[in-house]
Amino acid sequence: MKPLRIALTKGRLEKDTVALFETIGFDCEAVKNKGRKLILPVGEHLEVVLAKAADVITYVEHGVCDLGVVGKDTIMEYGTSFYEVLDLGFGRCRFALAAPKGSDFFSGYASKTIATKYPNVARNYFESKAMDIRFIKIEGSVELAPLLGLSDAIVDIVETGSTLRENGLEVVETVCDISARLIVNTASLKLRKAEIEELVAQMEQATQEK
Amino acid sequence: MKNYNMITPEGTKDLLFEDCLAHRYVERTLTGVFSSRGFNEVVTPGLEFYDVFDPDFSGIAQEIMYKMSDRHGRLVVMRPDSTIPIARMTATRLQKQRKPIRLYYVQQIYRSNPGLTGRRNEMMQTGIELLGAAGRRADLEVIVTAVEALSKCVPNFRLELGHAGFFRALTAQLPISDDLREDIRSSIESKNYAALNTILDTLEDSRQVDAVRRLPRLFGGEEVFAQAEPLCEDEESSATLAYLHELYQSLVELGLGDRMIVDLGLVQRNDYYTGIIFSAYMENIGDAILLGGRYDKLSEQFGSPMPAVGFAVNVDALAELLLKQGRIQPPKAVDILVHSDSGYEIKALQYASQLAGSGYKCESSVFTTREEALAYARAQGIRRVDFVNGSVETMNGIGEKV
Repeated sequence: MKPLRIALTKGRLEKDTVALFETIGFDCEAVKNKGRKLILPVGEHLEVVLAKAADVITYVEHGVCDLGVVGKDTIMEYGTSFYEVLDLGFGRCRFALAAPKGSDFFSGYASKTIATKYPNVARNYFESKAMDIRFIKIEGSVELAPLLGLSDAIVDIVETGSTLRENGLEVVETVCDISARLIVNTASLKLRKAEIEELVAQMEQATQEK
Repeated sequence: MKNYNMITPEGTKDLLFEDCLAHRYVERTLTGVFSSRGFNEVVTPGLEFYDVFDPDFSGIAQEIMYKMSDRHGRLVVMRPDSTIPIARMTATRLQKQRKPIRLYYVQQIYRSNPGLTGRRNEMMQTGIELLGAAGRRADLEVIVTAVEALSKCVPNFRLELGHAGFFRALTAQLPISDDLREDIRSSIESKNYAALNTILDTLEDSRQVDAVRRLPRLFGGEEVFAQAEPLCEDEESSATLAYLHELYQSLVELGLGDRMIVDLGLVQRNDYYTGIIFSAYMENIGDAILLGGRYDKLSEQFGSPMPAVGFAVNVDALAELLLKQGRIQPPKAVDILVHSDSGYEIKALQYASQLAGSGYKCESSVFTTREEALAYARAQGIRRVDFVNGSVETMNGIGEKV
């Protein structure tokens, strides 16, 4: 039997998932000593692929990976069609609208400018408020944009809020909470139901034990 | 200005040689089955009025349709779906025809998918529609045709069965707004258990809420029916479940038991399906290769209510799979190259037609000298060259007389 292939978001989510796998009792030596390899065996029935967050979604959507571990932020920005079966509970943070301290973002009728790394998330958020907004995509530290006078506010991921505070920004509103999710390719779940359900159940149980 | 005359638009591609062979093989094989079961071919226009695909009932979002305006400024689209125009055609042009009407089609559909995802924007589909027939016999006929047709192309696929009415019946009892119902539906569709629970936790506990909570997990083999039965409180959901079970058992009787899955959480986007929904999946293809269902309310949109059921097959995906499996070979060289010496051109053409008529594949040489013709034959791997002058001299591919 071909092993199930699971794509993990490189970095922190990868480490948290490996820890979860070890709780279940999977042998993760190969992933821990991976060198430069990107496809690695975990136990006998699983193969791990390491990828950037947005690529995890791409691989799962096309069915070249059966499952994936990726943040809700990436799903909201890039996701279209797959099953999102489990909230893994780690990688917690939130999307927030943040503006310079003391400014009243929602006041006045002039249309506002938002800088963000997540234009789709920002657009959906303001569409739900029926607000017309000018969006500017920024690749690096988004906090700079309002400081330099490019935008009125930002939509970004906030963990502790200390970066915001140090740069004179404050959270205006939480857009939504984020955590890591287990996603599954649609066809894979139909074709390999028993194996996938077993893995999902093991991961769910391990999540609850933590 | 940048010139795009050397490339094709994203999501489209040229089909060369074995690509075409594979596509035509799939089309021929599938339509052969459709035709043997009494379905007749129709073609609908590549351009249709936007109104035909009104997103309110088509479930096709306006941003994925390719739009332009005709010379009167009316909005037209490149056909994004085949079932809807066939319903339009049947409702308007075949009203008086004796029912049921059995139609099949092989045609492209066009969808402007988000960029850089590797999805096709031009897709070849073939499928059938059985219009003017309701009930179990019609549903079975269409599913069996789907299985028979697919089996001729690919041996291993899973057939998934669901019912659009099940979710509707279960949530009809819940005191919720349409927006909330849509949120519930989309979290069941994506099997997002966490989001579904968050929504349902805001509702008062009831048997129905509990049933909806379990819906996304209700998929698998025949055991699903037993699991679902206690959740059906009202007549409609029980009747729907019983119908689906009956259908399932008939399909088991037809020997399809080992390739069937039931998914009661198969809740499609706001589209036109009203009854059974079915799809087929294969290993190594991330998406369904066949999708179909019953759509009893669609013809009504075009002024002539009639029940109907049908399906569409993704021809591109099957063709690619056959190529990958090495089941389709690139076209072979012709059997004979016919070359005429100067002055015998007409005679050579007649001779070539004769050869072709007796079953040989042959090319007529366009070269002036025998050497050029032989060199061409060698390069192409053509193993026989016939020189026509007063008589016919036959040589093998390397220029030896035979």
